[in-house]
This record gives sequence, structure tokens and C-alpha cells, in this order.
Amino acid sequence: MTGPLEGRIALVTGGAGGIGRAICARLSADGATVLLADLDPAAVETAAGDIPGVVHPLVLEVTDPGSRHAAVAVCRRLGGADVLVNCAGVLRDARIAKLEPALFRRLTEINLLGPLALTRLVAQDMTSRGRGAVVNLASRAWLGTFGSTAYSTAKGGLVGATRSLALELGPAGITVNAVAPGFIETPMTAGLPSEVRRRTLAAIPVGRAGRPDDVAGAVAFLADAPYVTGQVLLVCGGRSIGDPYAA
Amino acid sequence: MIPTTEAPVTRVVGEGALAAAVAEALTGVRAVAASACIVPPIPPGTPLAELSDERLAADVGDTLDSVLVQVQQECDRLRDGGRLVFVLPHAPLLGASGSVAAAAVAGGLLSMARTLAIELARDAVTVNTVAVDGSSPGGSALSAQLGAFLGPGGETITGQEIYLTAGSDLGRLRP
Repeated sequence: MTGPLEGRIALVTGGAGGIGRAICARLSADGATVLLADLDPAAVETAAGDIPGVVHPLVLEVTDPGSRHAAVAVCRRLGGADVLVNCAGVLRDARIAKLEPALFRRLTEINLLGPLALTRLVAQDMTSRGRGAVVNLASRAWLGTFGSTAYSTAKGGLVGATRSLALELGPAGITVNAVAPGFIETPMTAGLPSEVRRRTLAAIPVGRAGRPDDVAGAVAFLADAPYVTGQVLLVCGGRSIGDPYAA
Repeated sequence: MIPTTEAPVTRVVGEGALAAAVAEALTGVRAVAASACIVPPIPPGTPLAELSDERLAADVGDTLDSVLVQVQQECDRLRDGGRLVFVLPHAPLLGASGSVAAAAVAGGLLSMARTLAIELARDAVTVNTVAVDGSSPGGSALSAQLGAFLGPGGETITGQEIYLTAGSDLGRLRP
């Protein structure tokens, strides 16, 4: 396929999930060779097979050092990643009083430590080539969300790291940005209670839930925006500027 | 028997480099509710290339873990109303080259404070953040700001963030 990302290698973690798959499809449509990385081998194969273009399935556990090194080795065989999208993440949480430290740590590892460790590996290759783009999937929860201490802390940490990484890697020709989705229709959000869904939708100025493609468009922009770095792009239908308790 | 009224206690929680400055600033503050200032340790600056998996786990993961436990203990103490203030250095919050671990901790705790402010409002607990210049914590300014959060009227201030940096951060986009 031809497009603005033709000739580039894109590594997308969490690529078999609702948003990750849309990102892989968009980057592939824009011409990138995509490494669709995720935890479940069967899901990875299926997702990669469903997307037109050059899409390689890759099994990756972002919290496992050996798995991260193996993924980067695959990237290097293809020439090295030009684009890294840290999309792997999980959302499970509890109010502060009931939050188990083990769950807090697990979310920190998956949503924050894993992405930073992978970024360190990939940035070595990007630095040697003098170019690259890292896009971190944060969340609107970075602004604070009821009952979401672990998730918002991890995503806030990712936003903080994004800013410092942008300053550190900018001189090497590497941009680092974050996309912060709001309420997006995915299998992860499909199980929300109807009342929660109704109240959430009522607080979104554009009047609908987001689609994975909405997020993918923002990621694709940042994957090819050499003069944009250190930014957080909220993709939330305006919920961040509206009244979150409108309903 | 003459009834006595004990003054509300403000605790300085955490081993951050700013803990001494916070304790000193609190000497001039009259808190009107039980309160705590969370002053976490912030990891030292380390270039990304030198930030090993072990360093990430210790500097970021363990630090956030310890703050969670401390905050949970304080929330239990403040369950009938109170004030929480996170005191963080401004540099890693705004971003600094070679400070990804520090920025991850500071950014994470900023978001933790935001979420707690939303969550604990129903329990009459306010949660705010003060960002100070780590090299010059500004005793009187810090004291005045802590007084605003902990003193009379502070019950209506929550989820706020203020940078006590004498304007040195003007023109920079805040997180």
C-alpha cells in the first residue's frame, strides 16, 4: 500500500484489541509495514490476517523482558521500528479504600513500566537512525476518574514520561506524544452497566461514544508529525471540556 | 473537668526531599481539620538508556506502591473529613530531559490526586497538589499555600494544582 508511512516499520502493542486493531489497520492503510503485537497467539494471528497490507503477527507480553527483547529483535530483522505505538493496557480498578496493592502494581506494570521499558529498547534503534515516532496510549482518566486510582495513576505516569521523553529524545529526531481516548466503543467497554453508559454518553458534547477509528486517526497523525512532540491529544468527543457530571 | 479541644493533626507523610521544607512550612499553619501532606521520594535523574528494567521497577513501581499504601492509611484516618495535599517538585511534572522515571512518578501522583479529589469529595476530604521548585521550596509561599488548603475555607478547594515557582514555569504547558 502507498501512503505517508510507506517504507516505515510500525510496532503496535495491544494490536489485537479493539483500539489496537484499528490502529494497525490505519497504519497499514497509510503504507506502513505493521507488527501487530499482543498477548494471545490466536488473537494475534486472526487480527493480522484480517487487516489488508503487510501485517506481521507478533506475540508479545509487555511486562516480560524476554518477550520485549524478542519483539525488538523481530523489528530489527525488518530494519528496525520507525514507529512504536504503546497501546497494550488493561482497565481494572477499585475505589481507593478497596484497591488491592497487588492490582495497583499489576496495572502499573502493564500500563506504565512495560511501555517505558519497550520504549527504551526501541529508542536505541531510532536514535541510531536519527528518526522515529513513539505514540503512547494514555487515557482521559489521566485527568481523574472516580474509582480509578490505579488506572489513572498509571496513565498519568505515562503522560508525565511522554513529556520528559520528548525533551530527551527530540534532539535525536524522535517524537514522543500521547493520545488520550475517552469513552470508546470496544469489547472492554461493552459490558458497562446501562446506567453508567447513559450518564457517560450524556457527558460527551458530540453526543456519541468514540470509535476505535477515531483514536487510530489521531495515532496516525502523530506517527508522521515530525514537528509535534510532547503533546497529549485528547480523543474524547469534548468530554474533557464539558461537565463530566452533566447527567 | 474543663473540656479540652485537641487541635487537628497534620502529618507529613513520605520520605521525599521536600519533607523537611514542608514540615517547616507547616509550623505557621493552623489546620482546621485532620490532614496530611504527602511528600513522596522522587527518583533521581537517569537517562533513558541507563534506565534498566530493575531501575524502572524500583524507582517507579516501588515508589508508587509505597505512596498508595501511605495514602490508603491516611484516607482511613480522614474518613470523617479532612485534607490531603500532595507536594511534588515542579521539574519532573513539567518534564525534563533525563528524568523519565521522576516524571512517571510525579505525573502518576498528579493523576492520583485528581482521581482522589473526585472520589473523596463525598467523604468531605479535599485533595490538592502543590508543585514547588525543588531547589528553592519557598518557605513562606509554601506555608501560605498550605494554609489555604488546610485552614478555614479550605473545605471548598479540591482537585486544584498550584505551581509555587515564582513564575519560572510561565509559558510552559502544564500537564
